[in-house]
Amino acid sequence: MKLLQMLKYFINTAFLLSCIVSLSQENSLQLKDTIIQNKYGLRVGIDLFNPVNSFFDEDRKGLELVGDYRVSKKFYVAAELGYLENTTDEDFINFTTNGSYLKAGFDYNAYTNWLDMENAIYVGMRYGFSTFSQTLNNFTINNEAFLDDLAVAESGQKFDNLNAHWVEFVLGIKAELFNNLFLGFSFSGKKMITTKEPDNFKNLFVPGFNRVFLNNSGFGFNYTLSYLIPLYKKEK
Amino acid sequence: MKFKLKYLISLIITILALISCERDDICLDEITPHLTIRFYDKDDLTITKKVSNIRVQIIGIEGDYTGNDDNNTITSSTDSILIPLRVDQDITKFILTSNSTNEVEINADTLIVNYTPEAVFIGRSCGYKAVFKNLDYSFIDENIDTLNWIKDIELITENIEDETIANVKIFH
Repeated sequence: MKLLQMLKYFINTAFLLSCIVSLSQENSLQLKDTIIQNKYGLRVGIDLFNPVNSFFDEDRKGLELVGDYRVSKKFYVAAELGYLENTTDEDFINFTTNGSYLKAGFDYNAYTNWLDMENAIYVGMRYGFSTFSQTLNNFTINNEAFLDDLAVAESGQKFDNLNAHWVEFVLGIKAELFNNLFLGFSFSGKKMITTKEPDNFKNLFVPGFNRVFLNNSGFGFNYTLSYLIPLYKKEK
Repeated sequence: MKFKLKYLISLIITILALISCERDDICLDEITPHLTIRFYDKDDLTITKKVSNIRVQIIGIEGDYTGNDDNNTITSSTDSILIPLRVDQDITKFILTSNSTNEVEINADTLIVNYTPEAVFIGRSCGYKAVFKNLDYSFIDENIDTLNWIKDIELITENIEDETIANVKIFH
């Protein structure tokens, strides 16, 4: 009897000791982990919307490169560079816009990441400008319906050296898929500041700004895949 | 610096809503103006004189022109009419028939209008309209005076840019 009891006692103690030992091991592991670090570096990527969309929509062709650089825990300096060729077909006019654009600004990540995750929900602003040309492919003079049989579609002209400047407000998400690879989506509301208009026509579409509405505002979105080139790490 | 996520998101959404786009895909503006003719009395050049049962035909298009849904319809007795000009060429010929319902007094005259059409941009959904410059009017003189019901024409405006005033006077 006594032997059995002593054996139980020893086994229990040994068990308890082993638990304590393993607990203390966890503690020392945790001590290292509490120093969580954020990655800082240059993130470059590409917009996926225009390349994919050009398979379905022949009228729109373009490419956009995106990039951002982290300057502090929450702030990023961001830019987009791209080119776009777009044909707009309306009731009485058909025109093609061709040009390139650059947008630069900042993003503020308002999301607090857990542990060492690098996701972002951000708001931002951009200043954008574009240089482009418009080609009025054809237009029909809008006259009374009675004369429709005699309607004339005239082939139009090319307007070169046009430009536009605007400001954007951006709302977006970036999620880290796996090691340093990010998937992002953003929506932007745009407002035109100044634009060089063609003679007897109007810039109804601007690369980077998209469709220009009546009150000179517009919107856009992009869907990006980007890679973070890590440069250094900083304490969170 | 720390800003609460929910306030920032609602701020940006408010800004985006304020920018909100104004749609422009319906044509509400004026398009190509009509030629406005006012009929005057040949005996008293300042008084307007109505034409009974006028019938308008445009050479090149079949059928009678009965007017525009919007404002002007060619009615049985009127002292002014609005008729469209062709933009595919720089001349339009009309056959204006007075008293078209009266077998005895029916009289058809040909009015010829020469002009230079010019395209003017309106907007996205309306496209372009034409304005007409350097107007010139004439009518086919049927040799014996009494055969024309149009006795004389007088130019009022050299260009047609809108439909606010009459462009030409016809005396009968």
